[in-house]
Amino acid sequence: MHDAEPFEAAALRIIEASPADETEVTIDGTLDNFVRFSDRGPTQSADRDRVEVAIRVRFDAGADGIREAKATCGTLEAEGTRRALERAVALARISPATPGLMPLEGAVEVRATSMDPETTGHGFEDKARWVKSALAACSEKGVRPAGLIQTTGLRRHLANSAGRRVTGEASRSAYALTASVPGGGSGWGESIANRVEALDPERVVARAVGKADRNRQPQAIDPGEYTVVLEPAAVSSMLLFASYYGFGAREVDEKSSFLCGRMGERVFSPSLTVLDDTHNDLYPGLPFDGEGNPKQTVVLVDRGQLTGPVTDRSYARKLGLPCTGHAVPQPSGSGPVASNLVVSAGQSSVEEMVAGVERGLLITQFHYTNMIEPRELTLTGMTRNGTFLIENGEVAGSVKNLRFTDTLVNALSRVGAIGTTPEVVGALFDGEVVTPAVRVDGFRFTSATDF
Amino acid sequence: MMDHAKRAVEAAQKAGATFADARANRTVREELLLRNGELAEADAPEEIGMGVRALVDGAWGFAASPGSGAALADELAARAVKAARALGSARSSATKLAGREEHRGEFRTEREIDPFTVPLSDKLDLLQRCDESMKGADETVVREATISSRREEQWQVSSEGAELYQDLLRVGAGISTSAAANGVVERRSWPASFGGNYKSLGYEYVDSLDLPSHGARMRDESVALCSADPCPAGEHDMILMGNQLMLQIHESVGHPNELDRVHGEEVDLAGASFATPEKLGSFQYGSEIVNLVADSTVPGGLDTRGWDDDCVPSGRWHVVKDGVFSGYHTNREWAGEVGDGASRGTNRAEGWFNPPIIRITNLSLMPGTWGLDELIADTERGILCDTVKMWSIDQRRLNFQFTTEIGWEIVDGKLGRMLRKPTYQGSTPEFWRSCDAICNEDHWELWGVPNCGKGNPMQVAEMSHGAAPARFRGVTFVGS
Repeated sequence: MHDAEPFEAAALRIIEASPADETEVTIDGTLDNFVRFSDRGPTQSADRDRVEVAIRVRFDAGADGIREAKATCGTLEAEGTRRALERAVALARISPATPGLMPLEGAVEVRATSMDPETTGHGFEDKARWVKSALAACSEKGVRPAGLIQTTGLRRHLANSAGRRVTGEASRSAYALTASVPGGGSGWGESIANRVEALDPERVVARAVGKADRNRQPQAIDPGEYTVVLEPAAVSSMLLFASYYGFGAREVDEKSSFLCGRMGERVFSPSLTVLDDTHNDLYPGLPFDGEGNPKQTVVLVDRGQLTGPVTDRSYARKLGLPCTGHAVPQPSGSGPVASNLVVSAGQSSVEEMVAGVERGLLITQFHYTNMIEPRELTLTGMTRNGTFLIENGEVAGSVKNLRFTDTLVNALSRVGAIGTTPEVVGALFDGEVVTPAVRVDGFRFTSATDF
Repeated sequence: MMDHAKRAVEAAQKAGATFADARANRTVREELLLRNGELAEADAPEEIGMGVRALVDGAWGFAASPGSGAALADELAARAVKAARALGSARSSATKLAGREEHRGEFRTEREIDPFTVPLSDKLDLLQRCDESMKGADETVVREATISSRREEQWQVSSEGAELYQDLLRVGAGISTSAAANGVVERRSWPASFGGNYKSLGYEYVDSLDLPSHGARMRDESVALCSADPCPAGEHDMILMGNQLMLQIHESVGHPNELDRVHGEEVDLAGASFATPEKLGSFQYGSEIVNLVADSTVPGGLDTRGWDDDCVPSGRWHVVKDGVFSGYHTNREWAGEVGDGASRGTNRAEGWFNPPIIRITNLSLMPGTWGLDELIADTERGILCDTVKMWSIDQRRLNFQFTTEIGWEIVDGKLGRMLRKPTYQGSTPEFWRSCDAICNEDHWELWGVPNCGKGNPMQVAEMSHGAAPARFRGVTFVGS
């Protein structure tokens, strides 16, 4: 992995060379190593690294405001960063001034974070052993594997001409397996953690193969309203839309957020509490935002009551709220984002939730969830990799996939129970959420498939 | 750069690779976004890097790093071979590549005006005129105008003797505005909704769009949508405008046509496909007037190039001919699985940082014979849907649900009231079989997709889809 010292030296060199009134430099270094596999064995691999240097410059335009621009390059070398600085300066000098921008802020303390050396050192021999083990388990049950094993390290250093110097590190490891029954259904398992040692490959394989085995011949089922037990991945693919389009201050300011007109109200189930918490134990992220401000832990939903949004410096001032440290790298067309959602654990195991359902569905995952409109967060998506009918408190068998169309606002108001065990889960699009399983009553499915 | 790519390939061969290739890339971009009159994004990225792929013991290794040079070439070759060697023991069968691709040559995107030579002041002036054109309504909460330029140079070399240089240029521009009233937020975008439309052309394409002339209409429609009636649920005949039909082509024809997906290699994230090989040549994918042609040579297409990342020349072929499923998107690894002696040339990576996978190329619905006014007049009752808003499709690319930014009721052959949130749902083959009219080439336009995600980890690729407005009978609209 890139050492920290060259990052700091390059950032200082750029700031010293800059003719701008204010300069900010953000350097990301990534080391990534992955293997994809199918029943043929490893099908694709990569051993790759990357550096991204973003240079933000600002010129004071007096009463008109500040002229601002950014240029990036993929190298720490002097010639490359010099050209990037030139491009940033050229863009900024000719840019229209933006009134009301605040000056860059100086030194600040952020929590120390570190990259896990076992994760960044996890090699292809280690991954090949996991692949062989998955292939053997899939072969035994006659199911076809498709999976990914990935280990990544990230270091970010941000420095600016006001004296701010912050560094953060994070690591990520992931193992995902889909097991498909030829001519039948499929199953899926995934484990994501900051340290590769925290992954549980055997559990991933057991879950994927076990679900596929129970999903060999799914039966047709009519769309309609069902009580659903949503496993963590299904919760994640819905809740992430609140992250993309709802929990940010800009969406509130522009009246497109579901928070508008509801702040302080108990809109969701009293059992539901949602935080944005980059410092959570299960999956810690970087300790500062895109301007180097310390990321605060923010209670977004407090026992059903809406208490967000997250802010950056600009929107904090505009809306008269505290700055929570959720800026994306600036300048940007995007507002602050709650990108470390954590759903607080509840009291029920998945088995207990299923036992409390007379007739409903156990959902493993949703595919291609997308948003129809933002004010109620109307979403649609397909079930995937194991949808199971619950009858009289027991899983009665697998069913064919269904498309849901429902609002997240309504769904979260009908949460009947929350699981005891949070997991780190992602979705088709960007982002990950720490969440347990959730039971929702009266969830609306609008069409069906024949598989 | 070419010398370094050659060196990497030779080093990989010396280290034991039975096949190797190397791609060195230099990418320069400029992204400008004016948002509510302020320059929200002014970004000028530049990146140089190299990716080396090696086949050892039947397994792929790939290594990538920023920069260039002989030392980097040697290092990446060693890393790629090491990865492949470590993984070979887990392979059940060796990777085989169809054909032999030993081409040499150069390809450059045709352009009249290099966008990077256009003064920034001209671009900012255009963005400001766009912004002014969208002002004037109290309900407006967002006004955005964008110009995007990208030039990617690629030097690629393979151990079969290929030696290629490509200079690929694309530009894009667009406007969009959102209004908030009556408890809803509605957006209108022009000419399309992914930040505008994009083409592999020079800046002359941005000039040709005449963006400011469309701002007032977008503003007025976004405001009017906030008090428009919701689109009624039920079965209706539907006319899809080209800037929505392009996404229908992308999601329900393009992706299920990728042969790696068909064979389950993408099921871990992006999904599989219903369009399995036994259907090839006989399956009625659409009505007889439906002809869908893949073409990586069409002028202006975002995937118009000389060769793919397997060094296979670009080409043109029918994916659906007269309604019948006729061909796949393939690469050298998968072409043999459907009996093809050579790849269709659709193996592409996102830059130097990623290994290539099969990607949709430019894929278009061929024009029909109708004028748009004539088609509307011929529709007794129906709904005209315009501009992508939301899309979702299942993991086998059958059950889809799309929402457009705006709809218009058609009554007795005339456009009537504006409709909010038109959301239609269907199953891919039934939908394409219900197509009974396609507008002529006067209405045909090439629409760029700048944000196609596939792979795991996900990569982004770009391609275009040509389409003219078309009519589909008896489509199910969902109340939402």
